[in-house]
Amino acid sequence: MIKTLASRIWKFFKSFQLTIVLLACLMALVVLCTLAQVEMGTQGAVNAYMRSFFVKRQFSFLPFPLPVFPGGGLVGLLLTLNLIAKTLDIQRSWTKAGMWLVHSGLVVLFAGEFVAGMMQVDTNMSIEVGQTVNYVQSYKNMELAVIDTTDPTWDEVYSVPDTLLAKGGSIAIPGTPLTLNVKRYFPNAELSNLPPGAPPSLATAGVGPGVSVVERPAVTNDNEINTGTVFVEPVAGGRSYGTWLASMALGAPQSFTHEGRTYSLSMRLRRQYLPYAFTLKQFRHDVYPGTDIPKNFSSLVQVVNPSQKESREVLIYMNQPLRYEGKTFYQASFGKNDTLSVLSVVENPGWLLPYVSCVLVSLGLLVHFAIVLRRSLKRRQDKKEG
Amino acid sequence: MSFVAKASLLAGAGLLALAVGCNRDQVSHFRVPKEAVADHPDHPGHEDHAAPGQGMPPAGGEMPAPPRPSGQGSLKWTLPKGWSEVPGEGMRFATFKSPVQGKNEATVVVLPGAAGGELANVNRWRGQIGLGPIDDAALTAARVVVKSKAGALNVYDFTSDGQAKSRMVAGLISTPDGNTWFLKLTGDAAPVAKAKPDFMRILESLRLD
Repeated sequence: MIKTLASRIWKFFKSFQLTIVLLACLMALVVLCTLAQVEMGTQGAVNAYMRSFFVKRQFSFLPFPLPVFPGGGLVGLLLTLNLIAKTLDIQRSWTKAGMWLVHSGLVVLFAGEFVAGMMQVDTNMSIEVGQTVNYVQSYKNMELAVIDTTDPTWDEVYSVPDTLLAKGGSIAIPGTPLTLNVKRYFPNAELSNLPPGAPPSLATAGVGPGVSVVERPAVTNDNEINTGTVFVEPVAGGRSYGTWLASMALGAPQSFTHEGRTYSLSMRLRRQYLPYAFTLKQFRHDVYPGTDIPKNFSSLVQVVNPSQKESREVLIYMNQPLRYEGKTFYQASFGKNDTLSVLSVVENPGWLLPYVSCVLVSLGLLVHFAIVLRRSLKRRQDKKEG
Repeated sequence: MSFVAKASLLAGAGLLALAVGCNRDQVSHFRVPKEAVADHPDHPGHEDHAAPGQGMPPAGGEMPAPPRPSGQGSLKWTLPKGWSEVPGEGMRFATFKSPVQGKNEATVVVLPGAAGGELANVNRWRGQIGLGPIDDAALTAARVVVKSKAGALNVYDFTSDGQAKSRMVAGLISTPDGNTWFLKLTGDAAPVAKAKPDFMRILESLRLD
């Protein structure tokens, strides 16, 4: 009974019908995702359609979004399993070596997209001329930065990601006596001065009591940033330090002191600190003579990495990125009268996989061609002799 | 390869793909050298022109900050020698840098109306340096009135308990447009004590625009 069921599942996974249905789903997803980019922006649409297991839709009569179509993640996973099942079914003999290589190459290609979808991190680094920066920051994701500023030379930065804030509840900050009670989190909000007669704010400490917060729908467009806002209550040693308002709209961090240690709270774009630093020595924005048409953008940076005892100059310019310590730094944007350079930073642990896949598929096709050619020539020879 | 081995391999591949997809949210910790106070753009591209053909989105403009008082309700001050002023962001109107070495900083924050009342604000400040709340009687006892051209300021000076002492000297004043201005000098007890005479001169120099 179990064997029959397993055998049916196996048959289902290696069927060509499944391949056709999944490829059709993939095509539909590509069209839907392209159309959705108009409203959701590139990243929003890719996340909703391609990098999810289900495409979900919110209906007014339901409190939660309902899956309406398989997402790119699920289709890709099934397609990979389908491909693996098919590959395992290929006869294991030298005559099929080419087919094995081609199928393995395709599996590696799918795996590469999975690794990119799940593990690729897109961030950016903004540096002004003369400035040294040792972190990259996210385009969209935010964090509540709890910073112990007590030490005169070092800051202890504890980053609470927005995804954790959205879950609410109590968040213990490891390595400190602090626990943050998340009272309310807004993925996007609008802040204004609290008008007279308005209901009091949730905040009881910091600048929050004088600020009114109105929730806004979250934005996913490429050129918009959410104003993430949170009401948190730091508790340490059984004592509450009041409820604080932290928001992307509040510029200055707010702080409190517990047993001689000062902690500041601020909402900001999520940062990843690096064990090395970049100093922007020069930014060039060349144009074609007599026009405003850009010819070249380049950033001359000094890369200082104390752990490697390294200090060298690198020129990053369009289509000539710097690949360093697993990250790729591209020249992406500029500003402030050509004194600010913005580098787009991509970290993809699986960046080599598409190349490996291409080599495997090409090699497989060549091997298969050679085998078929040999067989064909042999047949022709046999015919002549026969 | 047997049927069981094939099925196990397939199931293993599926589970591996799902495991890669599980992304855990957790608090992360970094120890970083102190950042120099600079107008580093938190939102890249705020006045940028994206380089053609590149993937950098113009990352959405300035954040909306509460409107700043200007004209009749705005306060002016004179800074003592060696002090400098950095315009504030968001709710902070301005930041003063003193020439005194060590951790100390003076800030100006403006909030609408009574901003919760004097006792609530004083207790909030006390909370920030780890001191417990006080009542009305203790508030009156702690209050020092400083006269300025903009009117009388109520000034408080608190020092925390514990080994590493923090200190806060803070004054508040209401302006005719209904706003309340808070001028605070905070930091470690020793540098704040050194900077306090100059800070008190700033409070005395306050005048309406």
